[in-house]
Amino acid sequence: MAVTETPPETVATVSATVTSSTPPQPSGLAAVLGSGDHKVIGRLYIATSLLLGALVVGLGEAFAIEGIAPKTLDIFGSDSVFQLFTLARVGTLFFLALPLTIGVALVVVPLQVGARSVAFPRAAAASYWGWLLGSGLLIASYAMNGGPFGGSSEGVNLWIAAMGLLVASVLVAAVALATTVIALRPAGLYLARVPLFAWSVLIAALMWILTLPVLFGLIVLMYVDHRHGAGTYIGAPTALYPSIQWIFRNPQVYVVAIPVLGFLGDVLHTVSGARMKLRSVAQAAIAAFGLLSFGAFLVAPSAAALDSYLVVGMGLLAIVPLLALAAACADVFRAGSFKLRAGVLYATAAFLILLLSVAAGAIGSIPDLLDAPTGGALGDNIFFLGVGHAAMLAAVIAGIGGIHWWATKIGRQPANEKLGLLAPLVLLLGAALTVIPDLVAGVTGDEFQRNADWTGGYAGTNGAVAAGIALVGLGVLIAVVSFLPLLKRGDDVPADPWDGLTLEWLTVSPPPLANFADDLPVVTSAEPLIDQREET
Amino acid sequence: MATSAALALPPAAPPARPRVLLVGTALAVAGTLMAFAGLIGVYLSQRHDALTQGGAWLPDGTNIPLTPGSIGMATMALSAVTIWWAVDAVGRNDRPSAYLALGLTIMFGLAVINSTTFLYTQMGLAVNTRTGLLVYTVTGAHLAMIVAGLVFAAVMTFRTLGGEYHGRDREGLVAAALFWYATIAVYAVIWYAIYITK
Repeated sequence: MAVTETPPETVATVSATVTSSTPPQPSGLAAVLGSGDHKVIGRLYIATSLLLGALVVGLGEAFAIEGIAPKTLDIFGSDSVFQLFTLARVGTLFFLALPLTIGVALVVVPLQVGARSVAFPRAAAASYWGWLLGSGLLIASYAMNGGPFGGSSEGVNLWIAAMGLLVASVLVAAVALATTVIALRPAGLYLARVPLFAWSVLIAALMWILTLPVLFGLIVLMYVDHRHGAGTYIGAPTALYPSIQWIFRNPQVYVVAIPVLGFLGDVLHTVSGARMKLRSVAQAAIAAFGLLSFGAFLVAPSAAALDSYLVVGMGLLAIVPLLALAAACADVFRAGSFKLRAGVLYATAAFLILLLSVAAGAIGSIPDLLDAPTGGALGDNIFFLGVGHAAMLAAVIAGIGGIHWWATKIGRQPANEKLGLLAPLVLLLGAALTVIPDLVAGVTGDEFQRNADWTGGYAGTNGAVAAGIALVGLGVLIAVVSFLPLLKRGDDVPADPWDGLTLEWLTVSPPPLANFADDLPVVTSAEPLIDQREET
Repeated sequence: MATSAALALPPAAPPARPRVLLVGTALAVAGTLMAFAGLIGVYLSQRHDALTQGGAWLPDGTNIPLTPGSIGMATMALSAVTIWWAVDAVGRNDRPSAYLALGLTIMFGLAVINSTTFLYTQMGLAVNTRTGLLVYTVTGAHLAMIVAGLVFAAVMTFRTLGGEYHGRDREGLVAAALFWYATIAVYAVIWYAIYITK
């Protein structure tokens, strides 16, 4: 008995209407400033975050150099050292790690799920411009002697407002991304068949939506206290940073690194060329890691809260999903073949640094292993500075790797593969050197000191940190050079340079305004391009 | 089954219009609820700390009268009915009822804003105290949520009745109703956590 299924006619009708009525693409400045095209918005996020990232890396390097000889190297004045320290931390998350991830996701996720656009394209554009304005205002607030520990009341107000704008912008982007994956998939592309990167972005976006509003609520409270209240509670300049510190420590900081897992899964799956049998395990692992990264309950934590069974359990368990995902990815090579690509190195480097972060976070969760922070400290053991940096660096490496992997969709040509093989190795070494000394210093009892000089970490090991951050900067520079071909218009740019398995490789490179020139076929598996090859 | 003929399934049902707005609103509602969960959590935590240390939570000379808050709660409960009525009326293409239901919802929302601002004048609570800071921030943020919910509901009703959605396809108004129900739920928590327990 033959059973056939008649595809709904309306799909073709609607799609034909969309493609035939596509307006001509704007050009010049209008194509950038007025665009609601997710690819343009994503590119803007990527380019700006890399530019602002240079500021953050430079600031981190300056702190590490001062830490080598804090008494003699006076890079930061005693009145600004703590302000700039908070700029480095806030900047790493909100100038670099989050927007870079969002930028890559905005370009890639709608293509991966076969959507003609991101959901709420104007809101997605507004999220970029809001984020850009917030970033500028945040830097301006520090220039006005504002921010945490700042002396200017107007500057502190501006810092709080800028933080609110940054968080709101990230949330708008998260809603657009999550809605795209949930509601804009074509026929047959069930959530169980969604590419792992898109799945991880969905999980990450949901976790951002569930945790960052808590930060936004605190920011509103800070503003009311500082602007209209006594300014002695949460709005006091000395209370601002401790009140938001929970977003930089585990488990909360892991939310920025959730897409690392999807990137690893997608890249390894693609190079194997085989169907992923343990796909449900991989998806469950990513979802479990997302759940275990929920840290909004650590708002203003006490030492007792940090030793609670919940925090300890989450810290210890978080490593399990990573191992499960690694096993699912390794299993795919039993049926497929391994090919060394730059994307593989980027994904592996990002995963290893995230593994380091999560393993260190698990160790740090063990009660009484680390010294409790003292009252004069910035509020946390330097160990957790290393844990947070590792998670954020993992996200950055994966973001840069994503630009390389999806270069023909993000830019106009493939990235330079040879430089692409070098950059992740430099980034891996740099990230390890940046993070490990802080972990060692934390285990042996070192803490931040609120002295006029920067004394985080040991003077001796801070030399390694300085070298590590310099290597991270070098790795980013190599990667940026490898991306230069993306800017040049090319002929015969391959639509699918990696023999891909998922829908983004079906469209031409660079993708047109509505992403796909033709109607998409009904998806019948998680690897629609394997299906297509088997049919032909 | 003794047949060798090829059987064709009937054509699949037309695909549902992607419920983008509803999904996006649901996510935004989740985020909004988390923001209030954080704020109310901080309020309860601070109140608990103050009471366990033997102090008083409300400063001397201040009081939070229950009547305006309770009237606000009853009004919000009524608005739950009227917003449901608006959704139902749009589903039946019943324009007069839809306008009436929307008008009542907006009136109830404005009444709650009025009762809350009246409450502010009765409390005698200064914003430069920790209690005042938290009470005004939580309830003020909720007033902003009410305004956003009313604007959302009004825009979606007019767009629906203007033809953007029709009959049973009333996604926009359902999304607005979802947001409004979340607004009512937050008010219920505020009513209990702040106005009743004080």
